[in-house]
Amino acid sequence: MNSDENGAQSKPAKASLPGLESREVFPERSPEIIEVTPQVVRRLTRRDFLAFGAGAVVALGVAASQLPPGTLQRLGLKFWPRNQWLLNKAQRVDDDVAELLYSPNRLVPTYTKSQITPLRNNYNGATPDPGYIPRWRLTLDGLSSGLTAVLDIQNLLNRFQIHDQITRLVCVEGWSAIAWWSGLRFENLLQAYPPVSQAKWALIESSVNLDPNGNPDPYYVSLDLLTARHPQTLLATHYNGQPLTVEHGAPLRLIAPMKFGLKNIKAITRITYVKDEPKDYWAERGYSSYDGI
Amino acid sequence: MTSRPEISPPPGVRLVRKHHLLVRVSHWLNILLLAGLIVSGISIYWASPIYRHSPDPQTGNTDYFADAGVWLCAHVPGMHGYVSPPDWIYNHFSLGPYMLAPAMRIHWCCAYLFMVNAVVYLVGVCLGGEWRSLLPRASDGSGALLMAKYYWGAPFALLSRRRRMPPHFNSKYNPLQRMTYFSIPVSGFLSVVTGWAIHKPMQLSWLAALLGGFDWARVWHFWLMCLFISFVVPHVILVFADGWDTVRSMITGWSKKTGDERSIP
Repeated sequence: MNSDENGAQSKPAKASLPGLESREVFPERSPEIIEVTPQVVRRLTRRDFLAFGAGAVVALGVAASQLPPGTLQRLGLKFWPRNQWLLNKAQRVDDDVAELLYSPNRLVPTYTKSQITPLRNNYNGATPDPGYIPRWRLTLDGLSSGLTAVLDIQNLLNRFQIHDQITRLVCVEGWSAIAWWSGLRFENLLQAYPPVSQAKWALIESSVNLDPNGNPDPYYVSLDLLTARHPQTLLATHYNGQPLTVEHGAPLRLIAPMKFGLKNIKAITRITYVKDEPKDYWAERGYSSYDGI
Repeated sequence: MTSRPEISPPPGVRLVRKHHLLVRVSHWLNILLLAGLIVSGISIYWASPIYRHSPDPQTGNTDYFADAGVWLCAHVPGMHGYVSPPDWIYNHFSLGPYMLAPAMRIHWCCAYLFMVNAVVYLVGVCLGGEWRSLLPRASDGSGALLMAKYYWGAPFALLSRRRRMPPHFNSKYNPLQRMTYFSIPVSGFLSVVTGWAIHKPMQLSWLAALLGGFDWARVWHFWLMCLFISFVVPHVILVFADGWDTVRSMITGWSKKTGDERSIP
């Protein structure tokens, strides 16, 4: 029996009867039939099974190496080598995408007072004792003047225009709240106290933060100055028209609605302008350091 | 060997091309990526469940998945001694509780690869011409109903040892397959869209608004995951029920079913 290409293809062509299918705009093509020797079938099958099998082994091995230690332990793969190259690369790609999507001219949605939702006190640890508030000062470092500026809340309230904004605060965990904030624009503080010319970042710190046991646990975030200069990035002094309470970061907190809530640091005590990306509390704990949303 | 008895070539094996190489690669890669997306996604869900109730007076739980774990550990024999019943679901279907940071990294990594894989798949169905076999047709509604009826009856027919012939369709896929294999990539696209709306609710706020807002985008994203799971289970059952030829065709690309005996799942 000779393998006849034309003969092999004529059979399925006969099978596609002039039924409903032929009236389709993009009719299905008749199946492509090949005739090969059993040896060729075996060789092709072996080749493909080996190739796909090897691919599966490599893919599963790489996938397992990306898992967190706790998960590996539960899977009984306690000693599987971990290599986070792929995950770190993906995180960098994602941060680059977030940075590309950011525009200083794009405003985040604002809401009306009737759309305001409750906002929980989401201090990571214990809420600090409000005793620090009367002694509170904001220290600015890394200024072009070479000096260190120390301001109290009255300096800030008297000197800067206070803006209102009702925006959504989105937590990295997935919940969000629409809240009414008032405060000065970070941009205005940058104009009044210009940073050193090479500065690209702000390291914003709060010395009053506590861990869950009530021990000091200073909080710090990195903020790129491009985001700091956004018109909706506030150094908030008021929540719901009232001075900030200790739960919401009295007397001064960051409101950067284009970042996750974890960047919106409460009870700011120091801002330092720096050239290179500074440390970030949650980035050190495995989260993104850019956190643009 | 003294003689060479075979003068004419041995009888040939007739094969029909079914899946382009890129379709096969993307199909198997998708299993791993979907698994990664689902387990990391459930770990992300754990951090702030979208479905919750007021705190349980006894356990303080607000999450239905935690309730399910508590119920299982209380009622299923052999599970009574489980250390942390509220975490049972998360310990078995996700990376585990308190895994938000690694879960997000894994989710982004798989999500980007999932989008790349979608392009690989689309190129594959175009190069192989398979896209023509996947387009829904006007008659698919009634045909799909016929197939569904056949599948529902199949377990009973098997038990009563009755032989039933599956409905015959003159196309590569039957109408139910066509509808499914068309809507699953569409669902994948919607998962990507809802995912971006959740991931960048400020820069892409128009996208979140289109889906009914940030919270609704999370709900859509969650139910699309459920849709994938509800597709995978019967898909795997039916492929294996149909036989080795169908499983093999997703590895080698060809099937030995060239004529009247068409594949079912």
